[in-house]
Formats: sequence, structure tokens, C-alpha cells
Amino acid sequence: MNNKTKFALVDCNNFYASCERVFEPKLERKPIVVLSNNDGCIIARSNEAKALGIKMGAPFFKVKDLVVKNNVVVKSSNYPLYGDMSSRVMKIIGEYSPVQEVYSIDESFIDLEKLPFNLMSHMQSLRQRVKNWTGIPVCVGVGSTKVLAKLANRIAKKYPRFDGVFDIDELPYERYCKLLQSVEVGDLWGVGRQSAKKLNRIGVHTSYDFYQSDVGVIETLLGVNGKRIHQELYGNSCIPMESIPPTRKQIVSSRSFGCDLKDFDELNQALTNLTRKAVNKLNNHKLSTTTITVFIYTNPHKKDKPCVHLSKTIGMTSAIQDQSQIIPLVSQILRLIYKPGYSFYKGGLVLGNLAKNYQQQDLFSMNQNSPSQIIEHKKSNTIRSVNSKFNESIKYASELGNNKWLPRADFKSNRYTTSWGELLII
Amino acid sequence: MNTANHGGARKGAGRKKNSGRFKEETKVIRVPVSLVNTINPVIEIYKSQVKSDVEVLLANDNPTELSIPIFTSRVQAGFPSPADDHLEDTLDLNTHLIHHKEATFFVKAQGDSMIGAGIQQGDILIVDKSLTAKSGKIVIAVVDGEFTVKRLHKYKGNITLKAENPDFKDIKIGGDDELIIWGVVTSVIHQYE
Repeated sequence: MNNKTKFALVDCNNFYASCERVFEPKLERKPIVVLSNNDGCIIARSNEAKALGIKMGAPFFKVKDLVVKNNVVVKSSNYPLYGDMSSRVMKIIGEYSPVQEVYSIDESFIDLEKLPFNLMSHMQSLRQRVKNWTGIPVCVGVGSTKVLAKLANRIAKKYPRFDGVFDIDELPYERYCKLLQSVEVGDLWGVGRQSAKKLNRIGVHTSYDFYQSDVGVIETLLGVNGKRIHQELYGNSCIPMESIPPTRKQIVSSRSFGCDLKDFDELNQALTNLTRKAVNKLNNHKLSTTTITVFIYTNPHKKDKPCVHLSKTIGMTSAIQDQSQIIPLVSQILRLIYKPGYSFYKGGLVLGNLAKNYQQQDLFSMNQNSPSQIIEHKKSNTIRSVNSKFNESIKYASELGNNKWLPRADFKSNRYTTSWGELLII
Repeated sequence: MNTANHGGARKGAGRKKNSGRFKEETKVIRVPVSLVNTINPVIEIYKSQVKSDVEVLLANDNPTELSIPIFTSRVQAGFPSPADDHLEDTLDLNTHLIHHKEATFFVKAQGDSMIGAGIQQGDILIVDKSLTAKSGKIVIAVVDGEFTVKRLHKYKGNITLKAENPDFKDIKIGGDDELIIWGVVTSVIHQYE
């Protein structure tokens, strides 16, 4: 397998837990779990927590005994911190190749083809630099295809003797086959749970079974994507780098509330805040929207109470992007769907049918350049820039209230890198 | 109105003749499967020789922003402002104080153990994690899991973290102590209230 294509997958080790450790070094070597929004489920674990048998996605209340007994450190998710650390790590990784695909908050592919370096020492230097500059440990998997690079990353993580960098193309054929035998087919990059089920049904369980299967059978069963993954195991690169993220089609902003909400004003308070977040995203991407969906749910797990799922979508003839236009609309939709007497536990909105700003206006709508429109637009921009400088200080009146809806985050660390008021104190 | 003119194809509608990628008429044929792999390359080669008359230019999706200095003086008929020839970049504290953006963190100082080095309670320290801590530098150190800011002294293999205040003892790092240099302090920001 000595093809000319060469990819690396750089993956942060236990990213959320590692971020927490950078600013709390005494957590080194201690078991850590990070909880989802509203402190519901386990979404990240340090190696020590994994060793205790705490499962990914487990509801927090179910593992609470285990957590208390083993002094596991519990953290609410701190996305401002993780997001900032991620962008630092990704920037550094990007210095090591002209082509980078940021694949998730903690993973990035880079294209190593034709780089005039010793790839192993180039990747070791990447790993060292990310660790020295940010404190985040990463592992690097190298291979002639993206699927192989991802597989190589598992090995780099699992066996310390490779010093965090592993090139799967260097494996002799028999060892490569052995490795494939030890990896379940569902753990291959791109093989989802449904595909794994289908494969299991025809007797394909390990990646080696998959590798040995006839490509025609795979294509019939999983379509062209399955065929690509199959080909990639043979070292034929079929999945190209996607360095430009696709334009967003919709923006979803939703939360489980800190406690069940019955009152319209309380719901409206939550929805106004969520809308403002969604509109900020819309504006940051310079997009505008023509459909708005608002939804509120009661808790389907509470069997003793009546269960409803209320939602409504409206469409508009011309695209809008200002919060002064969108927030009142969301309130109106909420008023239409709201029913008293229920306890709502989750709600949110979807801005859909997104398009780049300033598309053609409806003939009958107010002219984009009419003085009142311009004033509205300027007002929204001003509010936005004030809020980005002064920590969300301008709010909508409908957003103010008892804050009962705010999700629980009982174990949250400081936003050390994004808020002047929450700096690390030494 | 002549009804015979209604219906049917409009003249000139549809794809123009010979406007496909081959620039000539094409024909659908049946090919034995065993020959597909032989014939396809021939077509590919032919295709690559037919020159496209349209060149696709991709716009840069991430244009960088270029800030252009604004001419402050009004353009007047007569004498131009003598300052316009001397336009320079504005001063940006970030570029002055921060050299490795991804490795730079701000922390807040507590206590007065480093008062002699000009670090006062509540000051903001600019910390660069990418720098190697040489002897004599002010560092953010982690000793047994706890943060401290001190001046690093290395001499003949002995490492000492020195306070800059006679009221504080130096921290000698022994064989069992775990010392991690978290970062090097490059500047201190002291704001007068």
C-alpha cells in the first residue's frame, strides 16, 4: 500500500476533559466526566472515568453512585471554553499542511500529499506544538486514505509506544489484516449504526470481514458510500478533503429548561433568549431566513402527565435577518401554539430556508432602502456590536424575568478564555 | 388569431445543438459489460482533448479583510494636507503584546508575592505558553497541582521559584515535587482605577 495520497487525522485526547485540565492541573490523572446541557447525560470522559466503566451517554442520575464512590470530578459543559480552545488547536494544526478539513470540534484531517518533510517527525512536531501551546494532548493517525488515517488514529491512541503518531501504511500486510480483525465494522469511519446492522445480518462483523467482502455486495447493501469506505481500506482514496464547510441550511436553537414551565411569559422569556442566540448565528454567517418554526414539548418520560408536542412553522415572502423582526414573530407563533395547563420541559426554534443576505425583495414589501428599514437594520447592528463588547448587556424586555428556564449547569468551570470576569486567578 | 401556431416546441428552445461536452452529436449505444472498461478510457481521453470554451473561476469563499487607512484630511482644491504623504498603520496593542495568538492566555494576579516585579493584586498577566522558560523569566508554574506565579531560577540543576517580596519564601523544587511550567509571563497590565 504505497500510494501517493497521504492523509492525517489529528484528534484531541478526551477533548472536553483535557480543556478542563488545562485550567485545573490538579485534575491530571483524576477521573473526570462532563455533562450535557442541563446536566443530563455524560458526554465526555477522561481515560480514568472510562476505566471505571462509566458509559458514554449514560444519564447522570444513573451513574451518580459510581461517581460519588470513586471521587469522579463532574463538570457541566462549558462550550465557550471548549470552542475557544478548539479554534486555537485547529489553527495550529492548519499550519502543518496547505489543506485542512476541520471535521469536528476536536478532530481535523490534513492532506500530507507531496509535503517535502519526513512525515513522522513533521507530525511529532505538530503534536508537541499543540501540547506546548495549548496544553491539549492530541494523537495523529496517518494513512493513504481518510478511512485509514482514522483507523490509524485509534492505534496511536491505544498504544503509548507509538508516541501518539502512527502510520498505518507502514504495517506489514498480515499485521494489517490482524488489526482489521480486531476492529468492529461499526467502528470504521463512515459506517453508521444502521449500516453495521445490515452488515451483521449478512455475517460481516469485523472490519476484516468487510475488507474481504465483495465490493458489489457492499455497494448493493450500503450504496456508493459503502463502496467508497471499502475502497479506502484498500488504500484507494475516494473521500476527498472538504476544506470549505457547506453553507448552513438551517439554524436550530433549543434547550431543555432548568425546570418545567407552565406560564406563557416564562416560555416567552426562554424563547426570546434562544431566538437572540439563533439570530446572532444568522448574522455572523451573513444569512437571512424565510421560515421560522417554533416548538415546545412536554416531557415524554413523565407518564403520569398529559404529553403534547406543539409546533408551528410560518413562511415569509421576503427574507429577514434582523432580531427586531424575528423576535416579535417568534413571540406571535408561540402565542398561537401555547396551551395553558401543560408543563413544558423543552422548547426552541428553527430558522430555515437560509440564504445569503440581500436577495431580491418582494415587489410589495417595503423597500430595503426605505428610511425606516435602514434605521431598523442599523439599530439591530448596534445592539449586536454592543452585546459582543459588553457581555450580552442589551436584552429584549420579553427576555427579562425569573430566569427559571435557564438550564442547570451546577458544575460549570469558568469561561477562562472568553470572559474578562472569569479569568484564571493565580 | 391563427390557432395552428399554438402548441409544439418553440423555435430555438432547448439545448443548442453540439453544445455538449463533445462539441458534436452524440449517440446512445449498447456495449457488452466486459468492454465497458476498455471503452470508457477512450471516451475520457477524447473528452480531455475537447477544449471547453468556458473556464470556471472559483471565488474565494474566505476573503481576508484588508483595512485601508482612511484619509483624515478633507480633499480640498488647492493645498493637499501635508500629512497624507505620511499615513501609517494605526497602533494595535494586540500585535505589540501578543506574538503567538493561539498560545496566549490572560490570567489575573492574586496576592503581592511578586510586587517587586511590578505585579500587583488584580493585575492581568499576559501568558505565552509557547515560550521555553529560561532562568530569570517570570513564569506561571504548577507545583503539585497548584498554580503560582514566580521568577524561575535554574542553577546547576537546582530549580527555585523565587518570590519578589521579602515576606515570601522561595520554593525549592525537590526530587519528589512535581513542577510544570504552564507558561511564561510576557507583560503585565495594571489599570489605574
